[in-house]
Amino acid sequence: MGAGALTLGASWVATAGAATEDDLAFANFGAATEFLVKDFYAEALKSNVFAGTEANALRHGRSCAAQHAKALSDLLVGAGDVAPLEEDFEFEWPAKTFKSKNDALATGIGVLRALLGAYQTAAATVTEPSHRVLYASLTASVGQQIASLAGFEGARAVEPFPVATDLETASDALESYLG
Amino acid sequence: MRNRLTLVVLALVALAGSVTATAARSQSTPLTIYAAASLTDVFRALDPAQRYSFAGSNALETQIRNGAPADVFASAAPLNTQRLFRQGLVDKPVTFTSNRLALIVPRSNPADIKSVYDLKRKPVKLVIAGAAVPVGGYTRTVLRKMGLSSVLSKVVSQETDVRAVTSKVALGQADAGFVYVTDAKAVADRVNVIRIPAWAQPRVRYEIAVVSKSSNKAAARAWIKMVLGRRGQNALKEYGFLPPPTGA
Repeated sequence: MGAGALTLGASWVATAGAATEDDLAFANFGAATEFLVKDFYAEALKSNVFAGTEANALRHGRSCAAQHAKALSDLLVGAGDVAPLEEDFEFEWPAKTFKSKNDALATGIGVLRALLGAYQTAAATVTEPSHRVLYASLTASVGQQIASLAGFEGARAVEPFPVATDLETASDALESYLG
Repeated sequence: MRNRLTLVVLALVALAGSVTATAARSQSTPLTIYAAASLTDVFRALDPAQRYSFAGSNALETQIRNGAPADVFASAAPLNTQRLFRQGLVDKPVTFTSNRLALIVPRSNPADIKSVYDLKRKPVKLVIAGAAVPVGGYTRTVLRKMGLSSVLSKVVSQETDVRAVTSKVALGQADAGFVYVTDAKAVADRVNVIRIPAWAQPRVRYEIAVVSKSSNKAAARAWIKMVLGRRGQNALKEYGFLPPPTGA
């Protein structure tokens, strides 16, 4: 078992485990999507639709996305792969996304749900145990972010069984945003 | 005194004639431009007056190393230009454009391919470029990023450049092939284009450089400046190429 899996209570640490290509595909998708999520939070903050505690939650979400992207990039580099960079992408948001709180929240939650589904599958299927710990942690964090955004409007965000999705489904759901 | 003045005038006239002749020669002698096969249409349209040799960048790199008389080398991957630069065979290369990959299938789509993931699920005759060819390397990167390298077992043919891959699919000799978006655009009436997600795209960078042994370096540099300038960049955009990445 990798060191990351044993370091309970601390941040996940990249280990040079025997990741399979499928494992790394989740990391590639996850890193790119975390950049997308970070951009979502940044644009939401710029829009001035959110203020006070809501803006603080967005800032915290942005920080989480940046840390997630770094962890997944470390995983890729540790496995001898090339990590994506933020500047590799041109994020595209529908024109009305940041015009109102409802539209922004609906879009953000939609993106996070697609990411959550992929992370759930990764947590259950990747071969390297320390990577499973990372994906389980990412799943929890993204679930918390969904709840946080949904809470802005007093909406119910709690699902008994969020749906795990394969990479193809998650990727298709985000295609229009990732450019 | 008068004779001496006449001599000076004659000498100046002769010198001016010689300079004019040199300039005319460098303008009329076409440059020999070695360029990646994917640049065929855009370079020919941009400047039909030059002499081109289009092929896989790896093959062109080898030819330049073996002393081929090129003035300019435009490669679809930095690897080829940078290797020559390190060996002193080209001047410092610059990035001038970028591209993306796509999967193409014949219009009839006999293997019923609708997504890149179908390559894994369905029996398919896949054609790609060889690993040393830039587009072949980029294809393998896409497949690795998507966790689909196993589909390489379905490759029926490995081609020497992207035009050969495009042609085989357009003619229905293969069920699917990986090409640049710009090549797919050129045969849009004969193929269906299947998008590759942005997160799985490789970093496709084109570099251009003056060949060190060029006998017409000034004209070669001017030509590269034209490609980097508004005229060149507009032409590249028109053919579906992307601008060079920021910081390249």
